[in-house]
Amino acid sequence: MKLNTKSRFIAFTTAAVAVTSLGLFVTGPAEARKPFTQDELAAQYKELLDTVKQGDELWHSAKLGKNGLACANCHPDAAAANPHTFPKFQPNLGQVIPLRDMINWCIQVPLEGQALDANSREMKALEAYAFYMHRGFKLKPGENTRQHPPVEVRSGPGYP
Amino acid sequence: MTDFSKMSRRDFLGFTGKAGLATLVASAVGTSFGMVQVAEAAGNARLTPFRFAILTDAHLYDIPDHKFDGILQKAVEDINAMNPPPDFVVYLGDIAQSGKRAELEKGRRILAKLKVPLKVIPGEHDWYLDMGKAWRDMYGSPTWSFDHKGVHFIGMNSILVRDFWTLKSLTPDERMGFMEELECHQCGLWGVRDEQLDWLKKDIKKLKPDTPVVVFTHSPLWDYYPRWNFQTEDAPQIREILSGFERVMAFHGHVHQVVYNRIGNLSSVGTLSTSWPWPYPGVELPFPGIRMNRVDPGDILDGLGTQYIDLEKEFSGVLHYQTWSDLLPEGVKKGVKL
Repeated sequence: MKLNTKSRFIAFTTAAVAVTSLGLFVTGPAEARKPFTQDELAAQYKELLDTVKQGDELWHSAKLGKNGLACANCHPDAAAANPHTFPKFQPNLGQVIPLRDMINWCIQVPLEGQALDANSREMKALEAYAFYMHRGFKLKPGENTRQHPPVEVRSGPGYP
Repeated sequence: MTDFSKMSRRDFLGFTGKAGLATLVASAVGTSFGMVQVAEAAGNARLTPFRFAILTDAHLYDIPDHKFDGILQKAVEDINAMNPPPDFVVYLGDIAQSGKRAELEKGRRILAKLKVPLKVIPGEHDWYLDMGKAWRDMYGSPTWSFDHKGVHFIGMNSILVRDFWTLKSLTPDERMGFMEELECHQCGLWGVRDEQLDWLKKDIKKLKPDTPVVVFTHSPLWDYYPRWNFQTEDAPQIREILSGFERVMAFHGHVHQVVYNRIGNLSSVGTLSTSWPWPYPGVELPFPGIRMNRVDPGDILDGLGTQYIDLEKEFSGVLHYQTWSDLLPEGVKKGVKL
């Protein structure tokens, strides 16, 4: 294809604008904020693990219920809690629910206790423990046909 | 659901399709001397056919009218209604949840309603508050054997862990608290230990190799999932001591689930609890067809049950899981061949 001078100029300009825009798009946001430092990442991870540990303690505690049972009676190492399969239709509740609703159902029915506030620190900790024991699992929202073992735990509580 | 209590022995034999006429007649009239002779004349009889039942893992709490009390009572009523009845019941451990005398006493009161004799071995939940004192006061030695209709039955205490509490100066309550968690990461592996291994060697010394031997322990006699103590550390030594017998049948509690394995001459079967079911750990089952279905959390009785075993004259047999919900795949409903 043969372009005249004016056309060449327009083509060049368009390309230049495109390259400039692309450059801004790629480098802009990354330069607007520096990466987290190793110290910051370590502090964030520690916060998470503290929450997981609180969840572990609650998971194994009879104080959520009134009949002596704990989540861990049926779900050792959070086995068969299947957090990665939520949200899903839960037949015994007749609706699509997130994991926290299932946790509250377990607290109210098998444990005969009072439901937690969905935004409470306790609920966040229980969710953190259940999810952390299934780290690396593929999300399978809606799966209702299998019970999954958690991550393989050889020793210790299952987290660092 | 199947009403197993109304299921007759004749129905059961029809199921398996291996009933000889002599066996049918002999079992219908029980231990009548003449009929036993008929049964023995028909084949290489080593025992007089009979039935026994297994109850386990009630995990009773020291709380009045706790829901697990009612489930154990229901299981006792089911076994009392069986026709024909079992000759005896074996309880495979964990009557109590926290080792309290009151929990064990409650269990004894409920189990006292059984119309047939009861033999008991302990589980870790019965033991680690007072190191078995209350349990022994009620049931005596946790290590025993007896002979019944040609079969040698053995019970052992398989939940003996190494001392993890003295160095840490734990109180009995703290020690029990650790042991109550299935995934306890302080407690270590458990086993029957040397004293019981020596006892076992002596106990079987005079038995002929073709003697039918049945062993009961709280935990499996094979390495299933050590993380949850689904194991007995000295099971290899137990299997070695029993390796001279043509066949050994082992039954265990602790796993609260349907599971089966066979190692050498020993078959091993897991049993259903009357408290809560446990999910399968993340390892491949040795016999994946022998398992239970996914449990419905909305049904308080799902995943629970009792079991009975019918032994045949040549020391074969079938274990039937009795459940109150739709828990078993078709193949397992028909019974597990031993």
